[in-house]
Amino acid sequence: MTSIYLGIDVGSVSTNIIALDTDGNLIASVYLRTRGQPIPAIQEGLREIRATLGQEVTVAGVGTTGSGRGLAAVMTGADVVKNEITAHAVAASKVVPGVQTVLEIGGQDSKIIILRQGVVTDFAMNTVCAAGTGSFLDQQAARLGIPIEDFGRLALEARNPVRIAGRCAVFAESDMIHKQQQGHPLEDIVAGLCEAMVRNYLNNVGKGKEILPPVVFQGGVAANAGMRRAFSRALGTEVIVPEHYGVMGAYGAALLAREAGPKTSAFRGFELTERDFRTGGFECRGCANHCEVVELREENEVLARWGDRCGKWSNAVAV
Amino acid sequence: MVVKVKQWRLGVPRALFYYYYAPWWEAFFKALGAEVVVSPPTTREIMDLGISLAVAEACLPVKVFYGHAAWLAPRVEALFVPRLVSVEKKSFICPKLMGLPDMLRAAIKDCPLVIDATVDLSRRPEEGLRAAIRDTARAIGARGRQVERAGEIARARYWDWLARQQEQGREFSPGKKEGITPGGRPPLAVGLLGHNYLLHDHYLGMDIAGKVTRLGGRVILPENFAPELGEASCRRLPKRLYWTLGRKIMGAALHLMEQEEVAGLIHLTAFGCGPDSLVGDLAERYAHRRGKPFLLLTLDEHTGEAGVETRLEAFIDMLARRCPA
Repeated sequence: MTSIYLGIDVGSVSTNIIALDTDGNLIASVYLRTRGQPIPAIQEGLREIRATLGQEVTVAGVGTTGSGRGLAAVMTGADVVKNEITAHAVAASKVVPGVQTVLEIGGQDSKIIILRQGVVTDFAMNTVCAAGTGSFLDQQAARLGIPIEDFGRLALEARNPVRIAGRCAVFAESDMIHKQQQGHPLEDIVAGLCEAMVRNYLNNVGKGKEILPPVVFQGGVAANAGMRRAFSRALGTEVIVPEHYGVMGAYGAALLAREAGPKTSAFRGFELTERDFRTGGFECRGCANHCEVVELREENEVLARWGDRCGKWSNAVAV
Repeated sequence: MVVKVKQWRLGVPRALFYYYYAPWWEAFFKALGAEVVVSPPTTREIMDLGISLAVAEACLPVKVFYGHAAWLAPRVEALFVPRLVSVEKKSFICPKLMGLPDMLRAAIKDCPLVIDATVDLSRRPEEGLRAAIRDTARAIGARGRQVERAGEIARARYWDWLARQQEQGREFSPGKKEGITPGGRPPLAVGLLGHNYLLHDHYLGMDIAGKVTRLGGRVILPENFAPELGEASCRRLPKRLYWTLGRKIMGAALHLMEQEEVAGLIHLTAFGCGPDSLVGDLAERYAHRRGKPFLLLTLDEHTGEAGVETRLEAFIDMLARRCPA
C-alpha cells in the first residue's frame, strides 16, 4: 500500500487538497469552491482525492493551511497546522529553488513573500481592502459578461490598454464603465484593469519590498494570462507561474507535513467524508465581551470550540 | 480659613494616558482623600459605546476612551480628564488628545463635572507641573501644604512604578535559560512597539504580547529598558521628533533594532493615528536598513483576530527560520 501526505488549504474562496507521494511529488490535486461552507468542501475534496488515487493508501501525514486551517485540522486530524505565508513560501522554494520573490493573489487576499537563501526574510499581506484580488476580477468578468477563463486571453489581445484607477474596487468599476461609455474596445479595458491591479498590488502589498528574480506568481489569479503579462511588464523580469499555481498553499502544507514526518499520523481516516459534522455558534454572555463562540460537532460530540477570548469554551473541550 | 475637603468620587477612564500615569493619578487623589473609580478593562460593550459616541475621524483609542468615560459618567461625581498639551520641554502631545475634555463634554449626555487641568510643560517644566497639580487639586477643593504632600507621594509612587517595569526587563536578560519552548530552543526576543494604551489594553490591542509569548517569543516592551537609551538613539535622527509619544516609540524602535539578540520588531498602531503613520514608516525604514525584520500591525474597529494571528504566526515562523537555534 502506498503512503501519501495530504495538504489541505481552506481559503475564503477555494478549498484545495493535494496528495504527495513519499518522495514529495504531487500525485493528485483538487480545487473546489468553498462557497462559505468549508466542511462539505473538505469532505468533497477528500472524496475526490481518494477517487483520483484509485487505490488504498495510507496517510502518513496531514498539513492544513489557509484561513480555515484550524477547522480543517480538527476535522481531519492534522499533524501540522501552518499559516499561508509559510506554506506558500515552502511550496515556491520546492518548485523554483532559489526563488527570491513570491507574488500570491488569491480570492480575497494577496501577499508578497521575500526570500533570500531559501528563508523568508519579509512578507506583507493586503490590509482590510480586497481591491485587486480574485473576487474583484471575478465580479468584473461577470459584469462584462466574459467567462473568467477567457478574461486573461482577451487582455492579451489589447493594443492600447486604457488607464484605470486601481486604488479602490468601487472607483475602478466606475472608471471602467466610463471607459466603456467612451467606446474603448473591451480588450483594452480588460488589459487596463490587469495593469491597474498590478499597480495597486505593487504599491500596496509590495510597497518598499525589494523584488528580485526569480519571481514566482501563484494563487488562483495566476491563471490569468493578462495578469501574468502585466506583472512581467511592471517588474521588467520574467514571472514564473508554477504548474500547480492554484494549489500551492496545499502543496506547501503537505510538504511541511512530510518534513515534520510524524511517526503515526493523527489523520482520522477517509471515512470522515461520510460523517456528520456540524458547526454552530452562540454568543457567550459570560462577560461584556460577548464573544461569538463557534463549535464543531461530530454527531453529538463537540470536537472543538473557538472564538472566545478568555478560553472558557475552547479549553473546555478535551482534544 | 480651613475648608473641610469634600469626599469626591472621581472617575478615571482606563484608557489613553491612564496607561502612562495611572499610579501618579491614583496616589495623588487618594492622598487628597478622594475616592478613585477606574473603569473596568475594555470590553466589546465599552468599545461599542465609545464608537457610537465619538466623532468618526477620531482614532480607535480615542473612541475607546469615550466608551470608558461614558461608562463612568453615571457612576461618579467628576471625571478626571487632564488636558495634556505637553509633558516635557519642547515636545507635545497629539492635538486630538489635547481636545479630549471638550470633545467629551459635547458627546456625553449628562456629563458630570470634567476636571481638565491643563498640563503644559513645554516651556518651563517645573512651573508647568506645579500649575497642573495646583489646578487639579483646586478643582476638588484642596490647596496648600496638603497638595504639595500629595504631589510628593504621587511622584514617588510613579517613579517606583517606572523602575519596577525596567526591572522586569532585566529579569529576562538574554543569557537566562528559563522558558525554553517545546521546540527545545530559547524563545526568540521580539521587540513590541506601540503606545502603552494599545499594548496594555488587552481587548483593544488584541493582547499581542500574549499571542507572541504563546507562539514561542519573548516580548520586550518599551518600558522594559531605561528611556534614556531610546532618547540617545533618537538623537542620531536628522531632525528632532517633537511628538512625545512618537519619539518614545521611535527611540524604543531604534534602541531595540541595535540589539543583537532582538530577532525582530512588531509595531502595533491604531488606524487614524497621525503621528504613528509617520513614525511607523520611519521606524520601518531604519529597521530595513539594519536588516531587522519589522512587522506593522494596524488596528481598527473592523480588525479581525484571524488576520492578526496569521501575520504574527508567519512573522514568528520567519524569525525562527532566520535564526536557527
